[in-house]
Amino acid sequence: MTYLRLLWLFFRVGAMNELAYRANFFVQLFRSFLGLVTGLAGLAVVFSHTDTLGGWRPDELLALLGIYFLVGGLINLVIQPSMERLMEDVRRGTLDFTLTKPEDAQVLISAREVAIWKLVDLALGLGVLVVALVRLAAQVGLGQVLAFTLALLAGGAIVYSFWLILATVSFWFVRVENILVIFQSMYEAGRWPVGIYPPWLRITLTFLVPVAFATTVPAEALVGRLTVQTLLGAVGLALALLAVSRWFWTVGIRHYSGASA
Amino acid sequence: MTALLDIYRAHFKTTIASQLQYRAALVIWLIGMVLEPLIYLVVWTTVARSSGGQVGGYTPQDFAAYFIVFMLVNHATFTWIMWEYEYRIRQGTFSAMLLRPIHPIHSDIADNLSYKLLTLSVMLPTAIALSLAFRPAFHLVPWAVLAFIPALVLAFLVRFLMEWALALAAFWTTRVNAINQMYFVALLFLSGQIAPLSLLPAPIQAIGTALPFRWMVAFPVELLLGRLQPEEALIGFAAQVIWLIVALALVHVIWRAGVRRYSAVGS
Amino acid sequence: MLAALHSLVRRRFQAVTAVAGISFEVMPGEVVGFLGPNGAGKTTTLKMLSGLLHPTSGEVSVLGYTPWKREKAFLRQITLVMGQRNQLIWDIPAIDSFELNRAIYRIPPAEYRRTLDELTDLLELGPLLRKPVRNLSLGERMKCEIAAALLHRPRVLFLDEPTIGLDVTMQRRIRSFIAEYNRRYQATVLLTSHYMADVEALCRRVIVIHQGSLLYDGDLNTLTQRFSTHKTIMVQLKEERTADLRAYGEVVAYNDGQVTLRVPKSETASITERLLADLPIADLTVEDPPIEEVIEHVFAQPANGMEATP
Repeated sequence: MTYLRLLWLFFRVGAMNELAYRANFFVQLFRSFLGLVTGLAGLAVVFSHTDTLGGWRPDELLALLGIYFLVGGLINLVIQPSMERLMEDVRRGTLDFTLTKPEDAQVLISAREVAIWKLVDLALGLGVLVVALVRLAAQVGLGQVLAFTLALLAGGAIVYSFWLILATVSFWFVRVENILVIFQSMYEAGRWPVGIYPPWLRITLTFLVPVAFATTVPAEALVGRLTVQTLLGAVGLALALLAVSRWFWTVGIRHYSGASA
Repeated sequence: MTALLDIYRAHFKTTIASQLQYRAALVIWLIGMVLEPLIYLVVWTTVARSSGGQVGGYTPQDFAAYFIVFMLVNHATFTWIMWEYEYRIRQGTFSAMLLRPIHPIHSDIADNLSYKLLTLSVMLPTAIALSLAFRPAFHLVPWAVLAFIPALVLAFLVRFLMEWALALAAFWTTRVNAINQMYFVALLFLSGQIAPLSLLPAPIQAIGTALPFRWMVAFPVELLLGRLQPEEALIGFAAQVIWLIVALALVHVIWRAGVRRYSAVGS
Repeated sequence: MLAALHSLVRRRFQAVTAVAGISFEVMPGEVVGFLGPNGAGKTTTLKMLSGLLHPTSGEVSVLGYTPWKREKAFLRQITLVMGQRNQLIWDIPAIDSFELNRAIYRIPPAEYRRTLDELTDLLELGPLLRKPVRNLSLGERMKCEIAAALLHRPRVLFLDEPTIGLDVTMQRRIRSFIAEYNRRYQATVLLTSHYMADVEALCRRVIVIHQGSLLYDGDLNTLTQRFSTHKTIMVQLKEERTADLRAYGEVVAYNDGQVTLRVPKSETASITERLLADLPIADLTVEDPPIEEVIEHVFAQPANGMEATP
């Protein structure tokens, strides 16, 4: 439970820090709004020429878009800023300060930085999702919602572990500063159901850069396209990756040596 | 003039040497450049296949050709100069550029071109690989292929100058993000990134023709793919020239005002 | 948290005058030092002279040009070196950045070679030129920065804190380089620093800027005379004395019969008389306080509260 307490602490500190920069709120609002309009317009253009995309109906894709923003917002809220901060600390040798604190280092570095304004993205994504759900009401029952929640949690864990592994690589290759961009570039592909991509891309987006688990899988769960096997597979992968990333993290810490002044 | 060429050459050498130090980072940046057209390629070929083999005059192979060419043309014309200026002014490194007896736009152009020269070594093989994977259909027309070169050069100049002028907004506000975001959204739709412009609703197409974005990217692409009649090509060139003049004027005016502003406020 | 949320809807601005009422003239070949604490306006003044800032009112003329017009002919004859900032490209050897400058300043190849050789010699750059700049130490980097700034043989040098952060040996090296450069090429040098040693070593003329105003413009020695309010009396006693020397003035140091007293300037004569009369004195000297102390004292006052002592 100390973890939750720590998380809340970081959140509060991050919030207070950012609230001093009121302009950032409006910047983020504008940016998120533009992103939303872009996504919706993109869908509109596609569906002006067809009724289904790879078997997905417009409302289902709307739900996917909502999940895309929701999960994206979550990632950019905590995971991305914290991992970037970790890489910076490794580069500058200031990770030492964290390592000498009496709490588990992994927990500390994972939620240290909170980009509070990304809550706007989260809110917008949630809004879109709710609209989509209302329109899909007929086919979404309790089972799907539960499956969706589970898939979302699994997806979150998988994405977190992936980011942690990427960031841990910086213990060895300090100068690849934009390694985290890999996920962010490929996340774009998560706007559309991964099933439409050619096999080699689909595999890349599932097992190499786990964008599929972030957006498509939870969306499939919600609209009833997800098989039990896939769901269990996702959960299994989540647990496995959490373990692997943890182990890799401890290896990284051991290898770490503060940069000389 | 020779002095200017000399400066460009010297710049190329230093920029390429400097960027080569970040090889891995360069490749990572390219992922985004390749993935976007790839995503839309897949989306539209999927739509085409489920709509009886073609959409708006584009078969899956036509879409493949469009997006692969688009990827290359977009790469040839894009800039990152807006982020660059925001960074420079924030860090105070811009002052050093002001002290040099040469307009800073030259070093920016040189930077841009040398980056593209370097990354061509990755983009070309990628285009070939994508061609092998998606089997694009090219209906090349000789005059159009020839016209492509000047169209590409003009497109580069228009886009670079426009984005350079936009970058100078950083002189007035550190919050350039809002402006940049709006620009990129307009660019996304109206330069043909999401779909060939002929697939957009008619009113949007009309807006697109009036604004510069089509002439920055889509026009050379349409030209190379042989989708334009000679008259349309001529109109396109005219539009490019007009926007070039507008862009030059904008750059001139905003630069003067920008330097005035920068030297009143300092760094 | 609530207060932080509240600030979301309110804004405040404040106008700050950086520099006001500064006037001076510098002749070719002079080396002038600008002294002043942080935020005094030294850097702002240099930026106005190099064209990076333009003043809200008043005139600036350098080499006959108006700096902020940034005419190419003007820019080719000046250089600005800022201690904290780099113009050298980080990831490549310094020599490559030099090449770039050569092209930008349109230096003819033969002249470039000659200047480069001279600078390499004067600054001992030999082994440094081919190493990537990020691998150089701070002092080595500064030397290369200075060389890069001088490749085009500017007639006017603006040096903003050029020795900041460097170790003592390197500071001395750079100081002697600047002096030599000025001597050889008759270049005009305007230098800001908060190291007294820089100014003492290089500048015969000193301009003191404090809170944006010009406080003093003239000789370094006269500065002390004008602004010091105290003098130091050093007394060597013939024999140990238990007399309370505090009656004569502030005792700054006392060991083995050597006493250092700090006394108000106006009472120097009378106190000296009393000392000579009362105590067995082997030796007595009257000195000005160290320049640092004078300057510190000057800066501790608000600008308009300053009065020169007669």
